Amino acid sequence: MGSSQDKPKLLTNGKRIDGRGVEDLRPIKVEARVLNDADGSAYIEWGKNKILAGVYGPSECIPRHDQSLYRSVVRCRYNMAPFSGLEGHGRSGPSRRSKELSKVLKEAFENVIISENFPKTQIEIYVEVLQSDGGTRCAALTAAAVALADAGIPMKDILSAVAVCKIDGQIALDPGKEEDNFGESDMPMAFSTRTGEIMLFQMDGLLTKEEFSKGVKLARAAAEKIRKIQTDAIGKAYEEPKTERFLTIKK
Amino acid sequence: MVILMQGKIVMPGELISEKPERISYSYVDNGKTYSTVVGLFSKGKLVPLQGPYEPLPDDLVVGIVAEVRFSGYNIDMNSPYMAFLSSREIRERFSMSDAILARIIKVDEVKSIDLGDAKKLPKGLLIKVSPVKVPRIIGKKNSMVDMLKSATGCDIFIGRNGYIWIAGKGDAILVQKAIKMIEAQAHTTGLTDRVAQFLKKQK
Repeated sequence: MGSSQDKPKLLTNGKRIDGRGVEDLRPIKVEARVLNDADGSAYIEWGKNKILAGVYGPSECIPRHDQSLYRSVVRCRYNMAPFSGLEGHGRSGPSRRSKELSKVLKEAFENVIISENFPKTQIEIYVEVLQSDGGTRCAALTAAAVALADAGIPMKDILSAVAVCKIDGQIALDPGKEEDNFGESDMPMAFSTRTGEIMLFQMDGLLTKEEFSKGVKLARAAAEKIRKIQTDAIGKAYEEPKTERFLTIKK
Repeated sequence: MVILMQGKIVMPGELISEKPERISYSYVDNGKTYSTVVGLFSKGKLVPLQGPYEPLPDDLVVGIVAEVRFSGYNIDMNSPYMAFLSSREIRERFSMSDAILARIIKVDEVKSIDLGDAKKLPKGLLIKVSPVKVPRIIGKKNSMVDMLKSATGCDIFIGRNGYIWIAGKGDAILVQKAIKMIEAQAHTTGLTDRVAQFLKKQK
């Protein structure tokens, strides 16, 4: 986190550092089915974030003492590549940060995966952050939801995630790296847009009650947009089928 | 550009009926029916476009002997669950990594699977496809697989579980290519004609 001395001005005349308004998302591109050997996969470019998600399963649950006779065990590994960003992220094995994110992603998906269909099995979600620029947990969750749908794992809904922050006293959608580090508050959320339920909720910093409700409302509206991007990506994988899977995102 | 099959592509959580209905791969919430998978929905039927093999009694499957036990064999059949083939069900003896064609007799609620009617498959090539695409590879009244057999001269054994065994003296690699093509385009129409053209061109 940066000290208050080198804090840049986050908001000038209603424009943010990267030129967005306070209610704008960064550009999001999603592509489903990009890996040959995973059961389901997705690649997301969310602003400068680049994240690859792969899903395996349901497969036999190993070790066996983790098995459940009633449901499938959901596992998640969030990992940052050594070259993903500054601050030495991902350079020394699992960290406190990556363990936390693996846990919150897992618990978000446990809410929607209909795991009773596959007793004694496990469903593995692997998320690799190739390049990070703030808001990787939301981008990772969004990509992993597409990968899960692509793997054909039964789910109640496709989850969509987005964060809200408070910068220079104003509530803004989808914080980038500087806004995340120097802003007053950061609040990532994941929604099941069908019901409007919140499946992941975390918060750093302080917000008033009014700011809080405004932020949730903003995020909920953005989640609808993100869901549209997700479903379009899945649909595209079927409208333009390819025998070999590979990345085709173009600038 | 390929034309999609009749029906609408639905996503998990998408409304498919305003009434509570019993449709496979769907769930009911608040008196309405929603899809749980990415699938093709038409005429009250939801067909998933991707997904694991869910074993059902009477399915014909291709399996690989994974373990020889005292009372029978554990069979790998491209599903999260090992199947068991009792020695009482068969006359011949199998050994590790033999390919067999068998029928599922029983599946219980914790997915213990019992096989029967097993026979050993001749020497050949195993390919893996997505289990939900298998009906398309077989075709209406075996039309697709019969075409593949006559065009390439191979014996093709298709398991409902997504394992396909290619035996015989024909061009196994061509069969493999054709099957991969069917798998990628399973949800489109006019596929039989396109595969026929593909086979003709390759010869």
